[in-house]
Amino acid sequence: MSPRVELENIHKHYGSGDNSVAALQNINFTINAAEFVAIEGPSGSGKTTLLSICGLMDNPDTGSYRLNGQEITQLTDARRCTQRRSEIGFIFQRHQLIPAMTVYENIAYALFLMGAKSRDIKQRVTQMLARIGLAHRKKHLPGQLSGGERQRVGIARALIKQPKLIIADEPSANLDHGHAEASLTLMRELNKEHGASVIIASHDRMIIDHCDRKITLNDGRMENTG
Amino acid sequence: MSWLMIALRNILRDSKRVVSTVLIIAVGLSALLLGGGFMLATYDALQEIAMRSEGHVIVLDNSQPKVGGTHQQLTLTDWQEIQDALWADERVHNILPRARFEGLVSNGAAAAMFSGTGIDPKEEFRVWGPFLNTPKGELIDPWLTADELPQIMLGDQLARTLKAEINDALTLHSIRPDGQMTTLQVRLSGLIHTGTKELDDHSLSASIDSVQALLGTDKISQLSIYLEDPQDTQAVKQQLQNQFDGIEVQSWQQRAELHDKVKALYDRIFSVMGVIILVVVFLAISNTVALAIYQRRDEIATFGALGTSTARICTNFILEALLVGLIAVLAGMALGYAIANAINLADLWMPAPPGRSEGHPLYIYISLPHYLATAAILMVTSVIAASVATYRATRINIAEALS
Repeated sequence: MSPRVELENIHKHYGSGDNSVAALQNINFTINAAEFVAIEGPSGSGKTTLLSICGLMDNPDTGSYRLNGQEITQLTDARRCTQRRSEIGFIFQRHQLIPAMTVYENIAYALFLMGAKSRDIKQRVTQMLARIGLAHRKKHLPGQLSGGERQRVGIARALIKQPKLIIADEPSANLDHGHAEASLTLMRELNKEHGASVIIASHDRMIIDHCDRKITLNDGRMENTG
Repeated sequence: MSWLMIALRNILRDSKRVVSTVLIIAVGLSALLLGGGFMLATYDALQEIAMRSEGHVIVLDNSQPKVGGTHQQLTLTDWQEIQDALWADERVHNILPRARFEGLVSNGAAAAMFSGTGIDPKEEFRVWGPFLNTPKGELIDPWLTADELPQIMLGDQLARTLKAEINDALTLHSIRPDGQMTTLQVRLSGLIHTGTKELDDHSLSASIDSVQALLGTDKISQLSIYLEDPQDTQAVKQQLQNQFDGIEVQSWQQRAELHDKVKALYDRIFSVMGVIILVVVFLAISNTVALAIYQRRDEIATFGALGTSTARICTNFILEALLVGLIAVLAGMALGYAIANAINLADLWMPAPPGRSEGHPLYIYISLPHYLATAAILMVTSVIAASVATYRATRINIAEALS
């Protein structure tokens, strides 16, 4: 069985000529199914760029990226969009909930994009809302929620479609310790239930220590994959 | 997933800018509706004048040369035969013979040129409807006895030139077709005021019998045919043309020179005004959508990250623009309707146009098809403007926008 994520000799530069900045250099690692991996490093080390590439939101300049054994770098924008929709769940630092959608709609949207039937959507979203303890908030808009509640909705949106890969960028950055731990526990539970691989970029020692493995970046280079 | 509700929430989130956009479009639309309503009312009035003055269908003799597009001489023969045939047609409301003639009218002390029309005094004035204005005296009496002088009516300015009073005896001087001078003693029964200087300065109406007696002929210049339904104009025209030889049949449109000129002028003015307003609407909508896209870059990027196609993202923005357009169009129609009614109730008057001595009431036509067509054009403009603006949404780099 092939690894879920395989990166080989990934390079990424921003700018050109004298202004060229190397964001990532010679990145190589693999992540297996159901692995919970942290990416750590100081600000500007390339964590976000690496997550963008892993999440198919950006393309490397050179190198190979295989997701579930499929080479991604040669795909068209439309195909990458389809892959994001079906294979990847995102958890953002600033939650990135759609402001005009209710809690219910934000979570249901992921299933809607997958083409799920409305009865199935209703059943799964209702279960998920109960799971994250926000059933009573389902008709609220994101602006009416606390930071912790928004993050739980963001996690629910990423996980409800049972993606093979979950990418989380600083998921605890705007949360207090209690909420951060609760969010991590939720992600871990769902990771175990559905076997999704998780990549978390974080500065938070509590989160990093909680992961199966960590990848350290510094100035766009990998320092370890231990 | 109710996209309509989501679009509505997005509009409400940005209510200040949406309100200003709605106001711009609503004012623009109401201006189009008012301008268009004024034009339609003017076209209708000119059409009504043209139909009432010449008839829906005009029968002329085709063997004589025409001057300025109309017959100035009495050359139409056998017109009673045509008249009899037409009376059997249910589509025909009235048939009026008319005899055009020219000459001098004098009262012994003064003389003036006139442009006269021989008419059927029993029927003629019925078709004038609201356009009949007799400031002094009475209409020509159709039941005069043989020992009474024939009666005439003069344009009020012509009577003033002659210093003629009601019941004054006047003399008409004209030239018969064979070149002989001819005169007729007549009595002034009343004055006519049309508001058109040319007519008020020179017009004279007399019974067709007296004109034929003056000119020594039983011919006429034209038969004016009035129909129950103006929609039958072309059909009746075609039927007459096929049925009778030696005649020329014209529709009222062919004689409505003023109607055509005014319509052409107003059409040009309205087209320019319409284009300007459409450009304003286009810019207002595209500006609103462009700003919304700029402010909601991270939202668009989130949609993209979740795997939403660019077509779906663009559709969302176009739906919002469509909603804004719909609200604006409804507001614009309500505003236009209210202002049009206020103007119509206020009894405002337009200044006299060139060639006329008095203005006319300002009336704004309120027509549902006109409202719907204008609104539809604005909605289409809104969608096109939004579509152009949303192109930017497809070029947002997801990773950059989210970082």
